[in-house]
Amino acid sequence: MAAQVDENGPPFNADMRSRHKLEALLNKNMRIRMTDGRTLVGLFLCTDRDCNVILGSAQEFLKSSDMFSQGEPRVLGLAMIPGHHVVSIEVEADTLADSQYCRGGR
Amino acid sequence: MVMKSSVDDDDAGWGLGIPEKMRNNVNWVDLSLGELLHDKLFGLFEAMSAIEMMDPKMDAGMIGNQVNRKVLNFEQAVKDKAIKVRDLSLPELIGIIDTCLCCLITWLEGHSLAQTVFTCLYVHSPDLIEDPALKAFALGVLKVCDIAREKVNKAAVFEEEDFQAMTYGFKMANNVTDLRVTGMLKDSTRIRQGEQRNPEVELEHQQYLALFNRIKFVRLLLTALIAFTKKETSSVGEAQKLMAQAADLLSAIHSSIQYGIQSQNDTTKGDHPIMMGFEPLVNQRLLPPTFPRYAKIIKREDMVVYFSKLIERIKTVCDVINTINLHGILDFFCEFSEQSPCVLSRSLLQTTFLIDNKKVFGIHLMQDVIKDALRCFVSPPVLSSKCCLFNNHQAKDYIDSFVTHCSRPFCSLIQIHGHNRARQRDKLGHILEEFATLQDEAEKVDAALHGLLMKLEPQRQHLACLGTWILYHNLRIMIQYLSEFLYAWLMSTLSRADSSQMAEERIAEEQQKGRSSKKAKKKKKVRPLSKEITMSQAYQNMCAGMYKTMVALDMDGKVRKPSFELDSEQVRYEHRFVPFNSVVTPPPVHYIQFKEMSDLKKYNPPPGSSDLYLAASKHFQQAKLILENVSTPDPEVNRILKVAKPNMVLPEFDFSVHKYFPLVKII
Repeated sequence: MAAQVDENGPPFNADMRSRHKLEALLNKNMRIRMTDGRTLVGLFLCTDRDCNVILGSAQEFLKSSDMFSQGEPRVLGLAMIPGHHVVSIEVEADTLADSQYCRGGR
Repeated sequence: MVMKSSVDDDDAGWGLGIPEKMRNNVNWVDLSLGELLHDKLFGLFEAMSAIEMMDPKMDAGMIGNQVNRKVLNFEQAVKDKAIKVRDLSLPELIGIIDTCLCCLITWLEGHSLAQTVFTCLYVHSPDLIEDPALKAFALGVLKVCDIAREKVNKAAVFEEEDFQAMTYGFKMANNVTDLRVTGMLKDSTRIRQGEQRNPEVELEHQQYLALFNRIKFVRLLLTALIAFTKKETSSVGEAQKLMAQAADLLSAIHSSIQYGIQSQNDTTKGDHPIMMGFEPLVNQRLLPPTFPRYAKIIKREDMVVYFSKLIERIKTVCDVINTINLHGILDFFCEFSEQSPCVLSRSLLQTTFLIDNKKVFGIHLMQDVIKDALRCFVSPPVLSSKCCLFNNHQAKDYIDSFVTHCSRPFCSLIQIHGHNRARQRDKLGHILEEFATLQDEAEKVDAALHGLLMKLEPQRQHLACLGTWILYHNLRIMIQYLSEFLYAWLMSTLSRADSSQMAEERIAEEQQKGRSSKKAKKKKKVRPLSKEITMSQAYQNMCAGMYKTMVALDMDGKVRKPSFELDSEQVRYEHRFVPFNSVVTPPPVHYIQFKEMSDLKKYNPPPGSSDLYLAASKHFQQAKLILENVSTPDPEVNRILKVAKPNMVLPEFDFSVHKYFPLVKII
């Protein structure tokens, strides 16, 4: 876990918002929380200016308040999350370990 | 990487929380509008196939979160006392049963089990139900589904638009025998029947009766379907009787729909009407992400109407066992298919025809059926017991192997007629290849048999017997594929078969005369193929008339044609006739040939539109004359006549009377 991102500092400041930083995240596992409370986990494949993100082999997790089907993910496959429905984006730290981004981010 | 089962509480291992992103319209990456950041292997093409989250049309998981009610499964609902498993009132029982039957129909019409029958919580585990009538009903419905599914799968005449074969691992009451379920259905209603002896109120009496009729209906339906799974032909007759009994109950069921409870359309609980015992969202997470949100379940009144039509169709299916000749069976399949029947009745027809894919109606070998058809059609000497070839070993080998080769293509041909109408044409195009091969073989066998016969019985011929028969079927497929022309070919083929029959009969007669001097009175025998020849002549004239009318109308500039930039008559022509290329007789007509043939300049002087109208009118008149001489006109003859008469005068196209030959009017 050498690549823990500093939780306190703004993790995405102006100079990091560059293309090659983001490119380094391609094909990493990404976790996106959506406006309706669901969370999608999948491979980061594609994005554009408006933060529309495409995840590959995505799995859908419901919010924990749902008693019925809590815990079992549903396989969605290729899914596009419109930018205005994205609440937060996280990248799995394990896969970040030796990525360019993390070296650059330290 | 190991996926954690819950993502909410455990944040360790995840980094790069990107908060409050572009809300203030700051681009999160310096890309220009429309530009994508992506991997080498992932492009716009792949991106197009992604489902869009939060789009109600694509994202099935979305509504689960928007509905305010708790989605409970059966066990949870019972535990929470959200649904009753005993002491259900009569209106509740009637309402649940009716809704469930509606779901059953919706499933049969091509929706998934998960969104129809299994939205009824009771069928998820009937063991938990304590009410005997409801328990028996739930088991009965499961058995009906199971048998219907098995039949449809076995017949294999469905496409994705007809039927969803997925069962999502639901249990279909396999731990209970069919016999036990029918027994339970019988017993549960018997109790009710006993109770109605002392009805305190008339209404209650009526409600008991309504329940009784419904349970009985399910029992009859199930018993009829069970009969179809038996191998004896007699059971098909039994099924027909049971279906007739079930049909008698439908009017009583229809008039008692009002007694059942209705679904609560409570908007605070979601956008879908909710019925006790039903949860449309219970299986939502079993479905693929892009599934429609709800299957539209049909209305109760429509359900009864649908059942009555379904029963009529199944009764018709049962009649097939009374048809013996292969040609008769083929006609039966064609006619049945013309009503665009549902997938269940189509499948039942298939499985009744070939039980276990071996024997026709479970009795006759396909080979024997084909031999009979041949005998009726062209009476080939090799199949006549009076001919020396009949007991000739070599001849027997020839014909037997030919007939064996025929059986698979003919089974496929019959199976094609079981598919939905829209799919048939494409499949007919494919099967032509197999029939072209058969044609080739038929000609070779004919030649070999003729050689043998010449040595043994020089006065007989064995020319183009089997060939004629295969050609006949070839042409029928081609005509069905195009729904027009080729009738001249069909006519000559039929005439050849007819004359071959006559020749055989003459020989038989002569042989008889030789043996006994008793002169049989020559009675006028009805030629079996004469009706078909007449019909072909009429069709040919209708086609010729239509063709000439079209050419004339085109000449006068009266046909509005869609004009596309890249339209090419040649490409259309060639695409349409691709399947015919494998067939040798009739030979394929190339586009250039077609252009030459249809070029009016080769006539001197080239005909004008009025000449063509006149010629067309003569064709219609001819068709009329031919058809008026048919002694026992069937509906098809009358329909054609209706078209031929006004078209004689002059030619708007009106397809309402006959689907291939329109009434032509000029406005």
